[in-house]
Amino acid sequence: MGELIRMSHISKSYGRVQALDDVSLTVNESEIVGLLGDNGAGKSTLIKVLSGAVPLTSGDIFIRGTKVTLRGTTDAISQGIETIYQDSALVTQLSIARNLFLGREPLTGSKLFNRMDRAKMDAVARDLLKRVGITKNIPPGTPIGSLSGGERQAVAIARAMYFDSDLIILDEPTNNLGVAETQGVLRFVRGARDSGHSCIFIAHNIHHVFQVVDRIVVMRRGKVVADDIDPRTSTIEQVERVITGMDEMH
Amino acid sequence: MTHITPWRRLTGHRWIARPEFGPFVLLVVELVVFWSINHDFLSPGNISNTLAFTVELGLIAVGMTLLMTSGEFDLSVGSVFGFSPVLMWTLMNSGATSLEVAFVVCLVVAALIGLINGWFVTKLKIPSFLVTLGMLLVVRGTALFITDGFPQRTWSAGGHWLAKILVGDIYIGDFRVYASLLWFAGVVLVLGYVLTQTKIGNWIQAAGGNPSAARARGVNVDRTKIALFMLSAMLAAFAGVISSIRTSAANPNSGTGYELEVIAMVVIGGTALSGGRGTIVGTVLGIFILRVMRNGIVLIGVPGLAYNIFIGAIILGMMALHSWLERRHQAGT
Ligand SMILES: Nc1ncnc2c1ncn2[C@@H]1O[C@H](COP(=O)(O)OP(=O)(O)OP(=O)(O)O)[C@@H](O)[C@H]1O
Ligand SMILES: [Mg+2]
Repeated sequence: MGELIRMSHISKSYGRVQALDDVSLTVNESEIVGLLGDNGAGKSTLIKVLSGAVPLTSGDIFIRGTKVTLRGTTDAISQGIETIYQDSALVTQLSIARNLFLGREPLTGSKLFNRMDRAKMDAVARDLLKRVGITKNIPPGTPIGSLSGGERQAVAIARAMYFDSDLIILDEPTNNLGVAETQGVLRFVRGARDSGHSCIFIAHNIHHVFQVVDRIVVMRRGKVVADDIDPRTSTIEQVERVITGMDEMH
Repeated sequence: MTHITPWRRLTGHRWIARPEFGPFVLLVVELVVFWSINHDFLSPGNISNTLAFTVELGLIAVGMTLLMTSGEFDLSVGSVFGFSPVLMWTLMNSGATSLEVAFVVCLVVAALIGLINGWFVTKLKIPSFLVTLGMLLVVRGTALFITDGFPQRTWSAGGHWLAKILVGDIYIGDFRVYASLLWFAGVVLVLGYVLTQTKIGNWIQAAGGNPSAARARGVNVDRTKIALFMLSAMLAAFAGVISSIRTSAANPNSGTGYELEVIAMVVIGGTALSGGRGTIVGTVLGIFILRVMRNGIVLIGVPGLAYNIFIGAIILGMMALHSWLERRHQAGT
């Protein structure tokens, strides 16, 4: 497994609040990293830096060994880093197919009078929904607004997979989801990994994290306090102690 | 959930769930009611008169539809409608330019007005309500100022080729329509196509529905909105010029209140005021619903002053219908 992303000595302060304090984190290819930590630990800030949403104060980001500068989310997406927040990444009024291809619409017709290739969009959408593990038959013309929370996550993940994002970041994707929907999302995440994508998975529910990730990283008060916890050899209680700072574990 | 009542099955049909369906039924009802009370309502003369005025508001309304789909609206269209022909005829009458040049100048000025609107809204992040309200006053004030409040002479346009192309008579048998009807039809077809079939249409809807998601996908939301403000102003100017040639008058006060009537037409047709969802077909229906109502109630003897009561009732009724459909839709599968 080669190294995909390396964040090196990242610091970020919001005024006097030091949200990230000299954080280093590596994500390998085809790896799901679980990012854990209490409220305010700095998880969202870290992935916002990585997705280009907020500028870092100091530190470097490397993609496959090459240093990159992320000036905005568009930069990050074009570098293969896709972030999925619940809801916010999709336009609820638009259909599944239109959301999948938003900003990258395939065209057909002459150069001057081109239009979207809607047949292609629908076909790809149908295929992707199947690949991501949605068994129910949902027409690609369905507006996102009439999908459930889990199905929306699935569409966002499918989009990241289709456009070959190397790293898919999911910030609390299982929030507000029921049991079945949560299992669905975990399945999509595994599916993405199995087809060669890496993921950073943030969730407060340690059980969810344990079910899906290859490695656990724990943050506390802006620092990474453990970065190589193997969910197969550790217990949930041990990880909880690291999160709350009652125990150090390496 | 396996038990489906006949009513649910009926309302679950795709074409009934469409936002255009309610306006379509309303228009048919209007036509039938007015015709059954007064058969003159569907006489060629009356249809021809109604159409002439309808397309002028209609041109503004289709531009406004795209703008509203992108999440903004434009209150300055009525004043641009009044100002543009005033500018054109003032230039023409002063002998400074030919009619062609004056026409181009007034479209360019309209585009500039739209550009300023769009720039204030997207770059300074001021709500379009405030920006375009300010622009309404500036533009209307300018029209009144350069004319001293008096209408401009326009009669020299009569046989000019530009006048013929824009609003010349076209006879289909005995039935007379203005060339402006063809312009309107063309604009409707092009913009309808753009909104539903092209990537620009996708961007317009995304910009109105969830601008930050659209930006994250690389859609240039600001540029899309600015372009639509420019389109909206240019269509208002175009409509104003057409109207001034048709009525042989360029009155600095004309178009007063059009902005609200146009927005009413657009929302009645099913376009969301909050953006993200828009329909040109619905807007065309909305245009006809209001114009037919205005024409019809006069024809059947209801005092014209009562017009606003009906318009208000239609808006409220249609909004209730659209919100009900929306909620049914969002409720899920
Ligand atoms: N825009 C901001 N301005 C100022 N301070 C901020 C901002 N965003 C985050 N912070 C602060 O940075 C710290 C880290 O916040 P962050 O959102 O990264 O935590 P988190 O680990 O994602 O927490 P949670 O689990 O609650 O989502 C907190 O102290 C927070 O108050
Ligand atoms: Mg967070």
